This record gives sequence, structure tokens and C-alpha cells, in this order.
Amino acid sequence: MTRGTRLRLPAVPSVGAMTAIRATNLRKEFRRRGRTTVAVDDVSLHVEVGEIVGLLGRNGAGKSTTVDLVSGLRAPEAGTVRVLGHDPRADRAKVRGVLGVQLQQPRLHDALTVREVVRLHRSFYPTGREPDELIEAMGLTDSRSTPFADLSGGQMQRTSIAVALVGNPRVVILDELTTGLDPEARRGMLDLVRGLREDGTTVLLVSHHMDEVEKLCDRAVVLDAGRVVAENTPAGLAVDAGLAPDAGLEEAYLTLTGATR
Amino acid sequence: MTDTLIPPLPEVRPGARAWFALMGAEAKMVARDTAGLIVPLGMPILILVMNGIGFDTDVVIPGTDGRTAFDIFVLPITLTFIVAMVGVVNMPSFLATYRRTGILRRLGVTPASPVMVLVAQAVVGIAQILVGLVLAVGVAHLAFGANPPVDVWTAVGMLAFTVAAMYSVGMLVAAVAPTPQSSVAIGLVAFFAMAALGGLFGPRENLPEPLAEIGGVLPFGAAVDALGAAWAGDVVPVAALVGLAVTTVVSSAVAALMFRWE
Repeated sequence: MTRGTRLRLPAVPSVGAMTAIRATNLRKEFRRRGRTTVAVDDVSLHVEVGEIVGLLGRNGAGKSTTVDLVSGLRAPEAGTVRVLGHDPRADRAKVRGVLGVQLQQPRLHDALTVREVVRLHRSFYPTGREPDELIEAMGLTDSRSTPFADLSGGQMQRTSIAVALVGNPRVVILDELTTGLDPEARRGMLDLVRGLREDGTTVLLVSHHMDEVEKLCDRAVVLDAGRVVAENTPAGLAVDAGLAPDAGLEEAYLTLTGATR
Repeated sequence: MTDTLIPPLPEVRPGARAWFALMGAEAKMVARDTAGLIVPLGMPILILVMNGIGFDTDVVIPGTDGRTAFDIFVLPITLTFIVAMVGVVNMPSFLATYRRTGILRRLGVTPASPVMVLVAQAVVGIAQILVGLVLAVGVAHLAFGANPPVDVWTAVGMLAFTVAAMYSVGMLVAAVAPTPQSSVAIGLVAFFAMAALGGLFGPRENLPEPLAEIGGVLPFGAAVDALGAAWAGDVVPVAALVGLAVTTVVSSAVAALMFRWE
């Protein structure tokens, strides 16, 4: 993302206090070769409109499965999901119009250029951002005619984020937002999320980077072995972990998940 | 934090612009895949030309309103070849690649459904087939004096039936293939098995009788027989119609049961 270029999305209409994402008692199992693995077990979380909530957890903690369930890509074995009050699977046509998702793996049409990919995704929404402006805001102008397959990992990531935002979503799920980005691009992405907050967009931010969550998120949910082990403000998580409020999120996270340094 | 304040959300369904954009994207994907573009069109034309050079294209088959052996045998084989290559080999490899690379999953979080990709891919594939058919008929006419079918509408109908049958086989290949590479392998094996028994490498009559009969009801041989009948002005053999119909229904049903988006 170009430094100093702020991504401005149209302001989300104020609709009063409400819950943008509400997941209740989610359970998801995967069966493979006779073995059943519980990926998500009794997970409940909520994100209020305009909030930025971090979803933390080590690899395999169930973060991406939770994203799949919240975005409606997978059906839970138990529990319910509501996005702005609607079931993302039963009310697919309603939810998809207001939800932008950046999946963990940036996968798009390999042979299409950046510009073609963003324009294609823009066509799916009745309103949205101008693709060229979004490409510029993502710092991809010089790569706009490059096929997706020929992009660097960071450029693929930024294209994937552009695609998630092109429909002007009211609720955004960003799974590993800054993975593969250089420090400058990473800083630009953090500015992007701040811009989303100012515009009233709700964000569920999945991350391994404690500093990111600490800087950006109003609250964080910590997953471990598929279960929610803590949910609070970053400072509140430190207190929950029995530490001083200013101990820092990383210390709190390591204590809460029983990890050793 | 009360859900009762939530305003109703409008349903967002992709309109004509999205459909055209997706079809345009699919067309670009096909055009930029050099092998996928050229092989299904180039190989059949090459076989057509080789046969045209080797055939005496002036010998008229009695009772066919002046149609030659080239019209009744070589041209139907060429046209069937084009449809089968696109439907059985090309299309499933695209779908398997999309599944493998997660594009169908990515589209699953947008208002566009993965079904739109299937439809767009089918439309582009059919357009590619039409280009191939026009090219083949054009070359056959200009280079070898080929004649149009006696019953044009029957030929058009049988071509449409052939497309349906070959695409259903292609969907079955896409459903069972775990990887893009395996989809190409399975598609090619299915294609050459059907083509060999259907007369691509020589008259079906030269095969052992049981194999010739099987070849006649498999979609390649059935399509060749149906198109040959349309070119000659004959009644389309019932066995060919049954073969195409059973292939379409059974393959589609099994593919629908087994198809995986991921």
C-alpha cells in the first residue's frame, strides 16, 4: 500500500447499537480416514458494529475454521452464526452483499491481471469502489497489468485484500492481513484498518501479530484447541491472565494459552 | 447490542454485468491457456486434413443426395472430436484447477456463486466448440469440397445432443478427479477409449463385434453415427440416441452426487 494514501470508503449508515457478528456455541468437526477432529468447540463471540475485534490463537487453534463458519463457507455441526442479524448460509444473497472476506490463502484467477481480477469482483456488487482507485490505494498500480500468478506473495496478499473491499462491505473479515507483507506494506495495511474503523466498518481481524491486535483492536478473542479461552480488551486480557494491565498482549496471550517462551 | 435494531438487508444477486464479466474472465483464461485453446481446435483439423488428403472425396455414396464418404464419415468424426476434446478433456481440467487453487472457495464468499463459474465455463466452452465446428466445416468445404448435411436441423440437434453428452462426461471427470493433473489423465483416457471404440482410428466395423457395439452406444460413436445419419439424410439410429441420452442422464446424475466444490 502506498504510504500516505488513505483508503476512504463511503461511510456506513448509522443504524444504532447492534451486533454485526454473533456466533453462538459453534462446533465444527472434520472426519478423515475414520478419525474425527474437533476444530471448533463451543465457540461464541460477538463483534459490535464499528468494532475491531482480534481473533488470536496458535496454528490449528481453530481461527480459520471459525472464519469459514462466520463467513458461511462451512456449516457448523452445532451453533448459530448471524451477520447483521442474518444467517450467512440461509440468507446468502443478503449477507454476501455486505460481507467482505480476505481468506488466509490469496487465491484468485491465475491468468487474469490484477486489474481484471479486481474489476471482475467489482462486477458482483451493485455498488462499490472504483477498481483503479482501490488498486492505487493498495500500491498495486505498477502491477495492475501483471497476471496474478506472476505477483509476489505480498502483491497477491494486497490483491486479495482489494478484492475483499471492492464491494464496500459493512463487515470485513481479514484472515492473516499482513502475512507476507514487507514492513512498509504492513504499516499501510494497519492504516487501512484504521480507515475502515473511521468509516464505521466492522472488522474481525485474525492475526498472529500481537502488536497489530494491540494497536488496532477494541477487543480480542483468544482461541486455544478450538475453544475460546479468553475475551476482553487487550489490557483486560492481561488482567484476566493475572498480569498487570500494562503487561502487554503478548505476555497475556502466552499465559492464557499456557505457552512457554 | 440488540438485534431488533438491525435494518433489513437487500438481497444482492449478480446481474447481467457480473455474468458477462465472469464469462469474459473465463474466455481470457481459455485464450491464455495456449494448449487448451489450440489442441481442441488444431488436432481435429489436422486429422480432417490428413483424412481429406487420403480420401477420394469425389466418391458419392448412393442414396445420400450426393454426399460423399468424406461428408458422412470424416466430417462427423472431426466434429465429434472437437466437442469431446473441449467437453471431456478441457472443461474438467479447468474445473479441477479452480477447485485445487481455491477459486471456487474464494467465489463462495462473494455474491457470485460457484455455480456461476460452471455456467460461464460451459458458455465459453460451447463458444470454443462453435469456433472449432465453423473452422472444421469451413476447411472441409474450402479444401475438400465437403457438402452440408442433407438434414441441417437434425445435424444441429445432434450436435447439441453431443455437447450435452460430452459435457456430462466432463462433469463426471471433474467430479471424480482429485487433482488437475489427474483430471487431464482421466479425461484423456476417457476420450481415447470412447474415440477408439467410436471409429476415430479406423472403421468401427473392423473392431471385434462386441467392441463395435459398445463403441456405437458410447457417446463418441453414437455422436458419429447420429451426425453421419443427419449428413446422409437418414433416420438417426435409435441406438445412437439412446446412447447419448443415457450418457447424459447417468453421467450428470453421478457427477451431481459426487461433485465437490473444494
